[in-house]
Formats: sequence, structure tokens, C-alpha cells
Amino acid sequence: MTIYIARRLLEGFVTLVALSFVVFGSVHLTGDPARFLLPISNDHDEAVYEAQKKAYGLDKPFIIQYANFLYKAVQLDFGNSFTARRPVREILLERIPATVHLALSGMVLAIVIGVPLGIISAVKRDTILDRVCKTFAIFGMAAPQFWVAIMLIIVLAGYLDLLPAYGRGDTQGWLPEWSQIPDMIRHLILPAFVLALAIIAAIMRLARSAMLEVLDSDYVKFAQVKGMSDRVVIWKHAARNALIPVITFGGISLAGLLNGSVVVEVVFAWPGVGLMLLEGVLSNNFPQVEGAIMVSGAAYILTALIVDIMYGYADPRVRPN
Amino acid sequence: MASDNAILVADDRTPASLRRRIQEARLPWIPLAILVVILFCAIFANLVSPHDPGEKDVFNKLQPPFQSADHILGTDRLGKDMLSRLIYGARTMLQVTAPSMVVAILAGTVVGLVSGYSGRWVDSVLMRITDAVLGFPSILVALLIVTYLGTGVWNVMIAIAATQWARFARMIRGEVLAIRDRDFVVLAQIYGVSSGMIVWRHLFPNVINTLMVLTSVSVGQVILLEASLSFLGLGLRPGDPAWGILVAEGREFLTQAWWIALFPGILITVVVMAFNFFGDWLRDYLDPRLRRAG
Repeated sequence: MTIYIARRLLEGFVTLVALSFVVFGSVHLTGDPARFLLPISNDHDEAVYEAQKKAYGLDKPFIIQYANFLYKAVQLDFGNSFTARRPVREILLERIPATVHLALSGMVLAIVIGVPLGIISAVKRDTILDRVCKTFAIFGMAAPQFWVAIMLIIVLAGYLDLLPAYGRGDTQGWLPEWSQIPDMIRHLILPAFVLALAIIAAIMRLARSAMLEVLDSDYVKFAQVKGMSDRVVIWKHAARNALIPVITFGGISLAGLLNGSVVVEVVFAWPGVGLMLLEGVLSNNFPQVEGAIMVSGAAYILTALIVDIMYGYADPRVRPN
Repeated sequence: MASDNAILVADDRTPASLRRRIQEARLPWIPLAILVVILFCAIFANLVSPHDPGEKDVFNKLQPPFQSADHILGTDRLGKDMLSRLIYGARTMLQVTAPSMVVAILAGTVVGLVSGYSGRWVDSVLMRITDAVLGFPSILVALLIVTYLGTGVWNVMIAIAATQWARFARMIRGEVLAIRDRDFVVLAQIYGVSSGMIVWRHLFPNVINTLMVLTSVSVGQVILLEASLSFLGLGLRPGDPAWGILVAEGREFLTQAWWIALFPGILITVVVMAFNFFGDWLRDYLDPRLRRAG
């Protein structure tokens, strides 16, 4: 187990270094970063250019610059955002909690909706209920997130005026005040649901097939023969075993949720890292893009790593000998 | 046995047996019909669409759908005909996704074949890179690429190709590993056939089925990625007929003009569904082994 964890940690570290190299290298590949930083009017003033180069350490060899970049990246220091004119670090620290809230809510929704629907679908196999669930799953995998989001906003926020259409309300940071929690949840429902939609569909299909397999097993049949009630057999005997792979999948999908949120954050104007990333991309704001991508990437690698290690504990078969 | 085969082969050519084979294949008729219609609209957009997609009917701005025969699906804020823009949107989708898919498939196949056949450090290096690309969500990689190359159709196509080749490389490599020690490959090596020739004549034909299945299963995902990127404003310019852009435009008129966002979204969903159904069918038909893996 120790070897497995060590190997997985090493892999995660290598991927992270590779990511940082790509992010850092792409600035150099596409041109001279010192030139990007120049005001347009001073484009030909070589003295300003040289000063700029020196100020940002861009006159040093590539490898030293890269080491500098790494050293600063670890402290979330990516320089100043061109548009907001303040450190990217500050923006990141404001935005990270919003994205984490959204991703966690999305995962909770995916499990709370997907698992019961999948189980019901399997138990009531080939009934109308099963068909409705299956259709929903097919739809959830094919419908574009941004479109579902807009349709829900039109109906639920526009015509029915039930839920807020955008933003995070008054919530800021990691933990809101007690009085703000209802407002926070109201703002979370729509974006979290849209974010989770494809995963709800996937979890449903997974839970359904796992459940069908378990329902066919001897111990479930024996429990039924013994005369136990359907409710106990289905939820206590069958579901518990069927859910192991489903929960693992839920964990893995959290890693995807942390990053799949770019589109959702844009539609709902959710002030998270994804929105920050797109704003940076559209305004050629390199420090902001670097910061957002490094943080999202690191979060992705870390979550995948934790899930893998937990999975290693739960299922000895994935560990190498 | 030999005579049986001969009869079967002869039998295969009669129209009656062809009809029977089509029936036995249980083709997904509805998805196929949808795809054929969309493809037809994409190719003959200029003949099918009632208006030019850029034509502005200034007297009928934001006209709701099903109100006049001239603009069946309504008009947008500049009076452009929605139906025509949707039809041209099909063409745009084809123009963006098809070339990037072709590049992704070619690159992925070459990497997969080389990696699987040469083994050792070439394999390790190529697979590390493949895993790194696969390990990140496509949208993130695409955003990184668009940041440094700039927005625009070409760069979106590059981004799509750059995120999609890895899946093909992984799959093809796996297939090659499974067949490269089979007798016909080993015999060709003993006979002195060059590596390039072995890969091209002996390995490649054996991965074509996998390639077709993976392509049809991936198309839906690629269409969604393309639509998302144009929705985010990274691809074509606003005003161009692309389904993702139309949804983005509709976003500005949520309750005044719901139809602008509704119809393109339905089209994307239906096309992706059709491809998913077709892909599932092709997988079961060509390669039952993959049935559970997908």
C-alpha cells in the first residue's frame, strides 16, 4: 500500500510539474512576454523594454525563469492581473471558495438524485418509470450545459420567478453567516443542478446496471425467499453492495466538477475560478489565466490523487503487487 | 464447409439477402434519418434555407415563431431569419468539427500505432503525454490553447484536435498491443518486412473497426465541446451562424425572445443524441467486446 501511495504521489507530482511547464512555456512559445507587458504607445522604446525585461527577471536564462515561476506559483503569486490591477492571488482567494461550494453542491445533488433514480429504475425495470429515467439519462448526456442553464433560467427565474438567475447573492468566502444560508442555497440550486446534470445521468446508469446485477444474485434471492419485505431487501441488502462503484465514480467526478464549471459559472455569472479563467482568456490577461489554470489543474490532480488512494484502501485489487 | 461458404458468398449478392442483412443489423433508423437530414442541410444550406442567414428583415425584428410563413421559427433582434441561421449553423458545425476530428483521428492513430508497435521508451514517453492530455478536462486544455493562440475558428479547431487525439491514441495502442505478437505479424517480421510496412499493411487494417466505433462515439462529445467554445465566444465572431453563438445571443433576450436560445439548443441535443445512439449501435454491431467497456 505504501508503494502504491508513493507511486501515485510521484505520478501526481510529475503531472503537476508538466502542467506548470506547459503553462509557463506557452507564454514563451507565443512570443516575448516582456513585449506583451509594454504599453502600446511605447512599443518601440527599447529602454523601457529593457527595463521591463529586467524588472520581471526576463533577462535571465529560461530555466531560472521557470524556477522563479514555480517558486512564486507555490505561493499563488502570479503577479498583477492586467485588467483588475491587483494581485491575481487576491482574486484567486476570493474565487476559490465559490467554485468549491459549487462543485461540492453539484456532487451532493448528483448522488442524491442519481442514486435513488438508478435504484428505482432497476427495481421497476421495464415499467414507465424506468423508461422515464432512461430518457432523462439520455437527455442529460446529450444536452449542452449552457443551453439547459438558459432554459432553466427562462422558466424558473424568468417566468416563475422562483429562484435567482445569477450570482452568489451576499455569500462571500468559505462560510456564510447563519442568516445567509437560505439565500446561499437558493443561489446554488440552479448552477449546481446544471453542473451535475451529466453526472446525474452517468450515476443513474451506473447505479441501475449495478443494481440489476446485485438483484440477480443468490443472496438477494435468498433474502426474498426468506420472506423479508421488499423494502428491506432492496435498500439494505442490494443497494448497499451496488453502491460501492457508484460512490467511487461520484468521487472521481468531483475532480471533473471542479473544472467542468467554466461554462456553468459563465452562464450564471458565478464568481468562481472558471469565470475568472474565461475573463482572463477573453482579455489576454496572462497572469490571471496562468493563476486560474494552475489552481484548477492542481485541484484536479489533487482530487484525483485522493480518490485513487482512497480507492486503493477500499479495493485491494487496484494496488500493484 | 467450402461449398457452404461458396453458397453463402453467392447468396450475399442477391438483393433479397442484402435486405435480410439490413433487417438483421437492426439499424437505428430514427437517428440515422436525423443525421442524414442534418448532413443534407449542412451541405446544401444555400439551397435549403429560405433566406440568406445574414439578411436583415428590418420590419420584422424579434418576430416570434409560427407567426408568419416567411419566418417560421421567428427572427432575431436584427430581423435575421432563425430557420436559415439554424440551417447554416449545421454547415458551420460540420466545417469546424469534421476537419478537427480528421486531424485528431490521424494524429491519434499514428501515435497509437507507433507507440504500440515500437514499445520501450517511445511507448513510455508517448503514453505519458497521452495520459497528461486525457487527465485534464477538454475545456481547460482548449482554453489554455485559445489563450495563447488567440480566439478564432482555426484556433478552436486546433484546440478540439489537441484534446481529442489522445483518446484515439490510447485505444489504438491497446489494440496494437493485443495483436502485435500474433502469428501474422511475427511471420512478417521474420520475412523481413519493414516496420513501416508491418504497421501499415498488417496492424492498421486490424484497428479500423475500433477506430470507426470510437469515432462515432466521440462525435457527440466533440459537437458539445465545439458548441461550448463558440458559446463562450472563443470561436466564430458574434453574428456568425453557429448553434452555440445563437444560444449565447438568445441569452440577452431571455424572456422577450425565448425562441432564439430554444431552437439551436434543441438541435444540438438532438444531433448529439442521434450520434450517441448511432455510436452505441455501431459498437454493438462491429465489436461486441466493447459493449461493456464504453
